[in-house]
Amino acid sequence: MKRREFLGQAGAVGTMGLASGLSVPALLSGVGRAYAAADDIPVGLLFSLTGAVAVVEHTLHDAALMAIEEINAAGGVHGKQLRAIIEDPASDPATYADRARRLMIRDKCVSVFGSYTSASRQAVLPVTEQRDNLYWYPTLYEGRECSRNVMYGGAVPNQQQDILLPWLVENFGKKIYMIGNNYVYPKEENNYCRILLNDLGGEVVHEEYVPMGHSDFSSVINRIRAEKPDVIFSTLVGDSDVAFARQYRAAELDPEKMPVCSLTRSEIEVKAIGGDAAAGHFSSAPYFMSNDTPENQKFVENYKARYGADSVTHFVSEAAYFQVYQFKAALEKLDPANISPTEIRDAAVGMSMLAPQGEILIDPNLHTHLWPKVGQWQSDGQAKVILQSEERITPKPYAAYPGQQCTGDGLVKS
Amino acid sequence: MDVVLNQAFAGLSMASILLIIALGLAIIYGTMGVINLAHGEFVMLGAYTTWALQNHAGLGVVTALPLVFVAVAAVGWIIEKVIVQRLYTRPLDTILATWGIGIILQQAVRLGVGAESRFVRGPQWLSGNIEIGALVMSNYRIFVISFSLAILVVTWLLMTRTEFGMKLRAVIQNRGISECYGIEAKKVYSVTFAYGAGLAGIAGALITPLFSTIPTMGTGLVVDAFLVVIVGGLGSLMGTAAAALLIGEVTAIFSIVINDTLGRIAVLAGIILLIRFRPRGLFPSDIRR
Amino acid sequence: MQSRLLYDIIGLALFAGVILFGVPALFGYDGFELNTFSRYLSLAIVSMALALSWGTAGLLNLGQAATFGMGSYAMAMHLKLKASGDNLPDFMSWNNVEALPLIWAPFHSLTFTLLAGLLIPAAVGGLIAIFMFRARIAGVFVAVITLAFLVAFQLVVIEQQGLTGGQNGLTGLAPLVLFGWSVDIYSLSFYYLVGACLMIALVFGLYLTHSKFGLILRAIREDSERTRYFGYNVANYQTIIFSISAGLAGWAGMLYALVLEFASPTYMSVSFSLAIVIWCAVGGRESVLAAAVGAILVNLAEGRLSDVFVEGWHLLLGVLFLMVVMFMPRGIYGVIVDAGRAMRRKPVSKKEAQPFETSLNPKRES
Repeated sequence: MKRREFLGQAGAVGTMGLASGLSVPALLSGVGRAYAAADDIPVGLLFSLTGAVAVVEHTLHDAALMAIEEINAAGGVHGKQLRAIIEDPASDPATYADRARRLMIRDKCVSVFGSYTSASRQAVLPVTEQRDNLYWYPTLYEGRECSRNVMYGGAVPNQQQDILLPWLVENFGKKIYMIGNNYVYPKEENNYCRILLNDLGGEVVHEEYVPMGHSDFSSVINRIRAEKPDVIFSTLVGDSDVAFARQYRAAELDPEKMPVCSLTRSEIEVKAIGGDAAAGHFSSAPYFMSNDTPENQKFVENYKARYGADSVTHFVSEAAYFQVYQFKAALEKLDPANISPTEIRDAAVGMSMLAPQGEILIDPNLHTHLWPKVGQWQSDGQAKVILQSEERITPKPYAAYPGQQCTGDGLVKS
Repeated sequence: MDVVLNQAFAGLSMASILLIIALGLAIIYGTMGVINLAHGEFVMLGAYTTWALQNHAGLGVVTALPLVFVAVAAVGWIIEKVIVQRLYTRPLDTILATWGIGIILQQAVRLGVGAESRFVRGPQWLSGNIEIGALVMSNYRIFVISFSLAILVVTWLLMTRTEFGMKLRAVIQNRGISECYGIEAKKVYSVTFAYGAGLAGIAGALITPLFSTIPTMGTGLVVDAFLVVIVGGLGSLMGTAAAALLIGEVTAIFSIVINDTLGRIAVLAGIILLIRFRPRGLFPSDIRR
Repeated sequence: MQSRLLYDIIGLALFAGVILFGVPALFGYDGFELNTFSRYLSLAIVSMALALSWGTAGLLNLGQAATFGMGSYAMAMHLKLKASGDNLPDFMSWNNVEALPLIWAPFHSLTFTLLAGLLIPAAVGGLIAIFMFRARIAGVFVAVITLAFLVAFQLVVIEQQGLTGGQNGLTGLAPLVLFGWSVDIYSLSFYYLVGACLMIALVFGLYLTHSKFGLILRAIREDSERTRYFGYNVANYQTIIFSISAGLAGWAGMLYALVLEFASPTYMSVSFSLAIVIWCAVGGRESVLAAAVGAILVNLAEGRLSDVFVEGWHLLLGVLFLMVVMFMPRGIYGVIVDAGRAMRRKPVSKKEAQPFETSLNPKRES
């Protein structure tokens, strides 16, 4: 595995740890990693490599690590190499909190890249804010958060739904069936969706939430049959989405008459669902692997060369990848002798770069201006973009809450 | 009325999956008193074996079934020989040991095959639905239901109509005395454990086309299967089947009347009450111990 | 019996020495390491609580995480209210909750919170115990009922998003203020606070196990029927120890929420509950002290292994654990006791060497 080689390169971390692990005091006081402060730049990677979320987070880890290696191979930043310190929080929020502390306090990382779920971000937040560190979060999320210590690389509700909903209502009809996992992200997306539907004259025929990891959708499918909606609006994640899609297909529900439009389904889920079962349904995202830009071609090519020809990139791994480059660009603007997380943040604001999805920009509120698209899945597991926003969309993390705005000075209530 | 019929079928379908997973667990528990927490991982191994057979040998899910059974049974047999056999004198420790085995299997698969979700193609000839009036039944789910019934019957025949079954029942009744009569209890245990594991493997193979195949897929299944076994009653095949049916149908009804989460909570509460007032389960086996 | 008490006192003194003086010195009073160790110490409390019900009374409680979670939520509710000031906690307004729910209101008071974190879990544990033990439920059925309760309880907590914060739990907490002292979780004083809690719990646990009460519990563990014939009300004894164990778990949960600065429904997961069982088994369930040590050692090993073997630490942990179950059935405690016996060169009769295994064989319900 390539990752191993990289670890080997980062000094004899493993062997040193083993050797020192033999003596009790060394075992107690932590493995002796040498942190020569000046000759490299420590960055933390906090993605679950084990446990239920690893399905997605491992690909984020892979993408971020690839970016770091590319940067190092090209000479690093200011002649310094980025040193990736890898932790495995094992899909458990408590472990996220623990490992985040390691990275930010013990290992003195100037930034940490990590996590997929909202719960894990929330677990990392206290230590990040107290230590004024910087957490680069690549995932689409529910908005409604305005931390000065998190760089949000994913879409917020307005960036996923503003172009999607009018198009859905126009092309398929006004009856929407909402299905999601039972946590904050689906509920927020649905809240926002209802606001948009109100203006469009749409109607929610049913809104339901199943527990995380729920995998038997027979009742849901029966209910869908009974309600006869025009569109299924899905915010199911991970396993649940895969199981739902397969059972939807097994039940022979027709995507032409009743398509599933998902905010969370990406190439990685489609690979598990199987192209046949996914074909015809829709996803809304700022990036698809099939995107036709030179930046994306390079990204996909490198990714496949590194992780195998059958590996896929998706809209979260793209963000995990470009965020490392944003980090690098911010570092380059700073005095190499004197870098701190907050300075990196301030340097990053307003910066634009060419990402695989197009030219993106970091807003003063630390969210990212993105290029929303709607893709229809094909039987080869790729999406065909059938609707693309004409302009880059500004992130509005509090779009569903009039009177509240996330700005460069934090949350402003009016 | 349509909804009721369709839900009844959904419940039947859930019950068949529960049954097929719980059956192996019930046999192992009923025979040796071992609560096999690695059972979910046997299911997972079955799913991955199916995936490997499909990807590398081009076998379909149904044709792969015998091979999957043999492969997972072999793993079960080895685990019984190397680990579980040493723990028969300490039944509560087997809970811990099998949990450890579960972690090891899960991590081994993750390291070997990768953490990402794998795709297994369902059998083409079983795609489609049968529609009777408003009742829509997926062919694949009908197949799973019939297959689980077949397994139940085969297992019952094995237990009651074969020499091995006779030996097994003898060992369950009284291990010491059976050994005096020349029955090799150790061997019986090994074979039973392997058979239970093999059934779990089949369960894994059958559910992959419907669910997501990942290394952690077994963790959630084992708790449900375990509850089915306890509700059904110790060592009773019919009890297990009845419990699976009951839990499947009740879940289906609740999830349409309220929702899936509350439905599950209600079922769990029901299980707690049932164990409290009928600790021996719905159909306690009449074997005296 | 007398000598066992002596050994336990010596053990406790040694343990206290290491925890109170050794560990901070070893880590050079480093804030991060102290904080990490505070986490281990709070987990040691829930592990020793399980040793009380499981090791002493033979009641395998797979729902320990539920009562642990209640404690952590009690603490988190107090801190959340504090962080919100006069406003409604943020997640409530997101869930369209209009006014502060009634069960939240009393958590404004610290005294109430501290009591609730201890007494609510104890009461819930007590109720479950009465429910089970009045019907003479025993052995594996205790494990099943508590497990089902745990799963259901976690589902309820996640479902009631407006009340509990759902899947994300309670985050964005204020620091605890204790008698005017604002607790800094990276400080030595906080470490000593957690350490002191652990010591109090251990002394209490040792007192219980060495008292007549503990003796009766062991008698129940060995043979509940016979104990009943002696005229003891078995169900009452079981209920009391179950409730005490649940209360201690709640206490540990309060500390845990402080250390991690959030409360999460994952504290009430099946895997966390099983992890507690494992710490307890590794240390040795017969002794509360050993169970506490087990929790610390397993977590320490987990932390260090994951440092060195980024991809394989889970696998190693599984192997390590399996080895302990296979070859050290009574945990580290058993190894030490056996070594002590061997050193005194007393001939060890087979029966004496394994009093515990035989007793733990639950008599199959017939």
